[in-house]
Amino acid sequence: MKKKYSDDYSIQELMAVFLSHDLKDGEIAHLGANQPIPRAAVLLAHLMHAPNMKISQSLTISNLINEPLPQPYSEFFTDWRRARWAESYRLGHEVFSDVKRFADFFFLGAIQIDKYGNINLIGTGNNYRQLIFRGPGSGASAVASTYCKRIYLISNTHQKRFFVEKCDFISAVGWGNGGKNARKELGLPGGGPKYVLTPLCVMDFEPETKKMRLKSMHPGVELEEIIKNTGFELVIPSELPYTEPPSIEEIEIIRTRIDLGGTLRK
Amino acid sequence: MLTHKRRNEVVISEKEAASWIKDGMTIGIGGLLSSSHPMAIIRQIIKNKTKNLTVIAGSAGLELDLLIGAGSVRKVIISLMTGEVIATVGPMFRRAVQRGEVEIWEVDESMYAASLQAAALGIPFIPSKAGIGTSFPEINPDLKIFNDPITDELLLAVPALKPDIAILHAAYSDPYGNVQHVGTGFADRALYRAAEKVIVQVEKLVPNEEIKKNPSATSIPGADRIIRAPFGAHPGSSPGFYLEDKDHMKEYQSAASLTVKEDYPKYLEDYLDRYIHEPETNLDYLEKIGVRRLLSLYEY
Repeated sequence: MKKKYSDDYSIQELMAVFLSHDLKDGEIAHLGANQPIPRAAVLLAHLMHAPNMKISQSLTISNLINEPLPQPYSEFFTDWRRARWAESYRLGHEVFSDVKRFADFFFLGAIQIDKYGNINLIGTGNNYRQLIFRGPGSGASAVASTYCKRIYLISNTHQKRFFVEKCDFISAVGWGNGGKNARKELGLPGGGPKYVLTPLCVMDFEPETKKMRLKSMHPGVELEEIIKNTGFELVIPSELPYTEPPSIEEIEIIRTRIDLGGTLRK
Repeated sequence: MLTHKRRNEVVISEKEAASWIKDGMTIGIGGLLSSSHPMAIIRQIIKNKTKNLTVIAGSAGLELDLLIGAGSVRKVIISLMTGEVIATVGPMFRRAVQRGEVEIWEVDESMYAASLQAAALGIPFIPSKAGIGTSFPEINPDLKIFNDPITDELLLAVPALKPDIAILHAAYSDPYGNVQHVGTGFADRALYRAAEKVIVQVEKLVPNEEIKKNPSATSIPGADRIIRAPFGAHPGSSPGFYLEDKDHMKEYQSAASLTVKEDYPKYLEDYLDRYIHEPETNLDYLEKIGVRRLLSLYEY
């Protein structure tokens, strides 16, 4: 059956749908709080093709396949109402004692992302003792980027000040100083950053140099806009497609079962 | 003839608990982000004008911002400091760090867990792969890169962190300090194992028989002291009891961010006077918050 594309969708819905296609059945998905795009991506994958996914949220593990309308509840990570779905708890300090089952993939945002997909959540400035702008800190990003099979970097805006040549501080390593063996040389077992998503485009990493490369532009976006708003030289492939739009079915599932409040359309 | 000995009860007031915490001590604070911080004790620490604390906080929320704003903190051990949807980064924390007034011992969440585990094991460090390739060893010189003697891999040595006192919030305890959490308990057990002494405030004191109904739920078998503190995690949530008080958190956030924006301490001072210095006890504080507001946090 031929896929019927929707012509009524928001960019955030498109980003969620793109991510959902990359998530596999049986994987362990870690969800932070107040991450509407990753949440929709995980739940959409779960409902469409990944019924055996384990969803780790608010320090519980659950499977929501039989849950008709999984509520997002509040924006707080610790909102304990999510424990009503818990099949087990996770203890804060023991999550990291079984690194192969911590999470298969992880979504990260940042205050700076560099051309090799290293991220900064610590702060900006030259001097750590006198930061110009203090960030929230690494959280679990260093351990996630060390072990997870895939890291998805997500930015709600595409601006030069986020996409920088070099991070002022690296709180989680991506492809280090570049080159296909960058992570191997550091002894990092995880797969590193796979995709970078912004409201303008999807980016991946060129396999030899591990420099960030444009993969697809979202429908309606011009190449010039992306180049102008990126603080380093992006690798531009010879063939540049548009990001696949969501299907009618995917949009219907998102709006009727996952995002009833329309957070992704605001 | 053997006379019957009485077992010691360990219940004290939040006032007495706070008096255990002296200037310059290292304290560990339980809970995570916007939940389960021992606010009844923290408010008393601020009332006491305790100074120069080193605070082991892990993934901290606005409780740390409040302690910093009140001038109690010299150094923090954190992997994260966020008021989540209320404030991406706490205003008082951000200002104090940017001005160099509060020092950070920067780690990620796994290194935080490792440092507590090293303390619990009584060993100097735990090796970590997380942190290799990052700026952590550069911004926190106590984290040392070394070559593993077995495989020669690069590893990071994460030193032990030992709190003088851990202060925690949990659901239940009996009078003897057998504590049961509702929910995960976050990293509270790790703080308990690492710390020299542990004080736990609980929503409800229960008889010893209640604890023995389900011993596998006992998360902390032997707190040094217990405080009865209903709603003691307010304005944070307490699993199984109440949700986050978003309006109150916003009230704090607005006082703190105005203090920073206008460089005028009175906004925060008014908040501290109203909610911390004027009420004598946790119950006085709860009266100020009001019964309607408190009960509304049950409803969902």
